Amino acid sequence: MNKLPLEGIRIADFGQIIAVPYTAQMLAWLGAEVVLIETEQRLTTRIWPPFAEAEPGVNRSGGFNMVNSSKMSCTLNLRDPKGVELAKQIISVSDVVVENYSSGAMERMGLGYQEVRSLRPDVIYLSLGAFGRTGPMKGLVGFHSVINLFSGLASVTGHKGSHPRIMGGLFPDAFSGCYCVLALLEALYHRSHTGEGQHIEVAMTEALATLLPEAIMEYTLDGTEPERVGNRHKEKAPHNVFRCQGEENWVAISVENDSQFLALAQASGNPGWSDDPRFATPEARLKHQDELEPLVQQWTAGLQVQEVVEKLQNAEVPAGPVLDSGQVLSDPHMIERGFVQSPDHPEVGPRPLGAFPWAVDGGQPGIARGAPLFGEHNVKVLQELLQVPEDEFARLVENGIIS
Amino acid sequence: MHWCGSHCGRAASGMFQEGALSGLKVVELTDRISGQVAGSFCARLLGDAGANVIKVESPEGDPYRRSGPYPGGVPDPDWSGLFLYLNSNKRGVSLDIESPGGRAAFLDLVAAADFLVLGHNSSEVERLGLRREKLSEANPRLIITTITPFGLTGPNSGYLGDDLIAIAAGGMAYATPGIPDSVGDPDLEPPLRSNTNMAGYLAAVQGAMASVAALLSRKIQGTGCEIDLSMQEAVAAVMPFELAHASYHDPKPRKPEIFGVMPNAYLPCKDGYVVVMAVMEAHWRNLMDLADNPDWAELEVFSSGVERARNWDALEPLLLEWTMAHTGAEIAQLAQDRGIPCFPAYTVGQMVDSAHVTERGFMVDMQGPGGQKFQLPGYPVRLERTPWQLFRPAPKLGEHTSEVLGEWLGYTAEQLLNFGVGA
Repeated sequence: MNKLPLEGIRIADFGQIIAVPYTAQMLAWLGAEVVLIETEQRLTTRIWPPFAEAEPGVNRSGGFNMVNSSKMSCTLNLRDPKGVELAKQIISVSDVVVENYSSGAMERMGLGYQEVRSLRPDVIYLSLGAFGRTGPMKGLVGFHSVINLFSGLASVTGHKGSHPRIMGGLFPDAFSGCYCVLALLEALYHRSHTGEGQHIEVAMTEALATLLPEAIMEYTLDGTEPERVGNRHKEKAPHNVFRCQGEENWVAISVENDSQFLALAQASGNPGWSDDPRFATPEARLKHQDELEPLVQQWTAGLQVQEVVEKLQNAEVPAGPVLDSGQVLSDPHMIERGFVQSPDHPEVGPRPLGAFPWAVDGGQPGIARGAPLFGEHNVKVLQELLQVPEDEFARLVENGIIS
Repeated sequence: MHWCGSHCGRAASGMFQEGALSGLKVVELTDRISGQVAGSFCARLLGDAGANVIKVESPEGDPYRRSGPYPGGVPDPDWSGLFLYLNSNKRGVSLDIESPGGRAAFLDLVAAADFLVLGHNSSEVERLGLRREKLSEANPRLIITTITPFGLTGPNSGYLGDDLIAIAAGGMAYATPGIPDSVGDPDLEPPLRSNTNMAGYLAAVQGAMASVAALLSRKIQGTGCEIDLSMQEAVAAVMPFELAHASYHDPKPRKPEIFGVMPNAYLPCKDGYVVVMAVMEAHWRNLMDLADNPDWAELEVFSSGVERARNWDALEPLLLEWTMAHTGAEIAQLAQDRGIPCFPAYTVGQMVDSAHVTERGFMVDMQGPGGQKFQLPGYPVRLERTPWQLFRPAPKLGEHTSEVLGEWLGYTAEQLLNFGVGA
């Protein structure tokens, strides 16, 4: 295999919960050596469900293992100055520092950008905050739900006439994480020919607001707030999910023009639909969605999801299954493409995860390895990398500086 | 310049800093299907970092020129809001790539570029011959970033799709609403998409990061590559927590069991909805303080987060009494003062008008052709040395055809006439 793009890059990962751990994981897959610095006194995802077979344990959490794979784990007590001192030594041999503690926490520990820069002048240092590191709300505590609610995303999510809804998947964390990865890769490229590091700041609320240009434009033009429209679309109809045979089985169908609608009418055995004046043009279909959707629903209700998808795709009508997360991981198409990978793990065995959403020249752009056990790489990081003598290491363990 | 806001003061003064990708050339080609938001925004992100982006449009123009919203409400292909947003920091070239001359010019552009960004369906990519094996001979260093609904390979690669299809097939619709919100009645409530081009933006950011990763690889290996990004996977890739449930335990049912520790709930309040989150013991005690320490707070059945989850049916109505007596803003103010993460559902307007967004200068001020003032989202990342800048507004149709074909390719005035461009 060719050399991975980030081989030789070391990252000190002070990530918390999902967003920054997800960011650093992507960089680890791309070949970076990521040292995750964990503090036993403030564990999060490691002690949260889901656990393998519902049995709790610091090495058994899917929420941890699926955003920290391919990393090394080094457990330092950052509440002790000696632990902070070791963290500084790790930083001084790292190219990149990433963190998403609450605003000001890294500075209070003595690990803020200004201090770190004196240890490592060309460091690339990324801080991600729910609301960012400046502004009157910088100190607010914000999990994904708060970010959904503040950013306006919830206000454009929901059924017609109903209340704002929160998107699934802890989406704000991973989406902000993608912006972080992009910024770090750009900064690494910049550094590769200038030698210059830099500080990077990301606000999760702002990442989400980048999804809402039309709503923001309309509001700032004349105060119009968006209406919630369920799964409908302002230009396409039918554009919704429809129930299929069995329980909790749905198919998504999206029709944007007359030829697709004609194809839908024919494929569903209802050629008369396209002659019906209520459905004759895109404008007419948008106007009569309340009448059109039940007709489509009547057709799909008697069929399996895959039957509907195949009939429509064969007729060149956009359609797809509504997959749950189990179906995503067992989808033959995504498995064949290499999206689903199952890195082995000493305690929970191989577990499928979603890796890269892209292939490079038909192959995977990087490698996903298992997540580290708690403190698995303490010796490697502290003794081999930092040259901490063995007796000193033992003393640090004894004093609880190393967990 | 009409489009300069607080966030791009340098542009207003006419001075730009080098971006991280300054000096690199990008050619973008997207068609009218789903891949368009993804392809267009992906190319914009590269332009945001300073790359020199050429958007190639057909003579009819990009369909988003006709999608609005428009300042003043009057349709105008140069003032469609979504087009302006997706295409700033680009120059525009108008070419009919179905004609021999147009195709030749397009291939000349691609041969001179570092990146080719495509947003199409897979059969269109094949029909146009835009695979690496066809393009690499003329330009072995070219990085091709192709965004399609289901990817270029695999049994479903021929499927058509759009944003809804990707959100559905990537697992996001089924997972929405997500915690601490939840489905009321799974029989009545279908899986849900947000009314945004979310899958497109996701694929765009991932496409840009794949492109820059490929650039770093090119520095090592000397050659370009073909990136095959699937919108379905772009969606699935941002759901590690949902996938973890399936991988480590059982897939979550659409009506989830109560969260393991409570309260972490989405509840109605006096004027809307609010998230009440107090899963840590200290947060819970603070929350009960705010509610004037009712007698029930001392009950054994609410004595720990796990107990509160077990007895959520009894706790929920009691908490509701408190939330319904206060507005969302009151609850947030009271709670956040004590470090409890509670927050109300904002409208888009509340977010835009908030002191926080204003003080950070996130929005970009724009002015329409009739002087209409409006805003668009800025950039969510602040890079100290290579800051985001608005180098230029979205192009008018064919605005830079002669400039680009002349500057990049050295086309003569006579050659330019073939494209209907007077030199």
